[in-house]
Amino acid sequence: MSSLEQRLQQLGQELAYPPAPDLASRARFSGRLFPWRAIALAAAVVAVAIAAAFAVPQARTTILRWFHLRGVTVERVETLPEAQERSSAGGLGRRLTLEQAQRRVGFDLLLPPLDGRPAAYVLDNALATVILRVGDRPLLLSEYVARDYALLKKSVAEKAVVEPVRVEGKRGLWLEGPPHTLTYFNGNGEFRQRTVKITGNVLLWTHGPVTLRLEGRIAKAQALRLARRIG
Amino acid sequence: MVDRPLDEAELVERARRGDLEAWETLVRTYQGIAFRTAYLLAGNAADAEEAAQDGFVKAHRALGRFRRGAALRPWLLRIVANEARNRRRSAGRRERLVMRAIEEVRPGDAVPSPEAALLAREEQERLLAALERLPDDHRDAIACRFLLELSEEETAAALGIRRGTVKSRLARALARLRETLEAEA
Repeated sequence: MSSLEQRLQQLGQELAYPPAPDLASRARFSGRLFPWRAIALAAAVVAVAIAAAFAVPQARTTILRWFHLRGVTVERVETLPEAQERSSAGGLGRRLTLEQAQRRVGFDLLLPPLDGRPAAYVLDNALATVILRVGDRPLLLSEYVARDYALLKKSVAEKAVVEPVRVEGKRGLWLEGPPHTLTYFNGNGEFRQRTVKITGNVLLWTHGPVTLRLEGRIAKAQALRLARRIG
Repeated sequence: MVDRPLDEAELVERARRGDLEAWETLVRTYQGIAFRTAYLLAGNAADAEEAAQDGFVKAHRALGRFRRGAALRPWLLRIVANEARNRRRSAGRRERLVMRAIEEVRPGDAVPSPEAALLAREEQERLLAALERLPDDHRDAIACRFLLELSEEETAAALGIRRGTVKSRLARALARLRETLEAEA
């Protein structure tokens, strides 16, 4: 080994690395907090309390637990809860003009370039949804600002894909595969639940304080492209 | 019966079957080198942490495709390093590497004279500055092979290149580094 190589090795030992995160302990913590058998329960109420945690089973999911998207809980379950098929606009709340919807939810919706001003559906004065069209397919773009409670919970079957992605450098999640269900929570201290079955794919990501969810029969690459145009 | 520590192959097998503790043990074993590798390649601590996390997630999901009997460390480093390089490409920023503060000398330690220690320190600072000015591919090769002391195989895995390419790239990188240092002398 040359003297330069030796000096480089020495340099490597003298570098000030940032403290390494204890990834293993996070995994253990997550695994115990969200044991697989107990996940069904997490369902409802607990999900509200634990806020934006991804509770998923076994080691894979334990690590997914590290990924945070405000106001969203994603969990894998053995059996999906009873749910109703949902039409594009059904169950999304009251249909309003874009301006009315923005006043209800308290923030300006992030939208891709569109011809005209779309209508928006508002649920619980918190979740706003706009129907976009890509070709002849409808896509649902839902947005909300999660404060100190989890507004949405997604349940996915074991076979579903839950994959971390990036949208403009921000963390996101891509969900693809068998139908999953979406549960809405009321943020007024009382627990209400509306379960609907979703058969498309879903992209979740955040932009500033807003959490966005794009849903429909769309491929991952196309969803990511669209998301980049939204925010 | 005496319990014995599980070897890596056993831990991998157990992790494959869903044993969380086995996977945690493997993560604990390699999280340090994985994070340092990600840090040098991504260029900042936040991206390095994300890269290491995401890398371990992807590795766990891919355990079923991990070849039995192969060494786990290069495989893990390849996944984590790939995450780190992707983040550097998207972030386009890199923190400057710094050396640790000089540690206080304990009574009784054999030490060089203060002047010699200072001179050595300055030489290393100069080397670090020259290293930082190398093109990314040269810098990465040197960082993996010498700063992190990865093997050639691990360096190849981390950089996503062949071992032969590691050798040639290192030779060019070291030559360029020498030239830079000599020009500044």
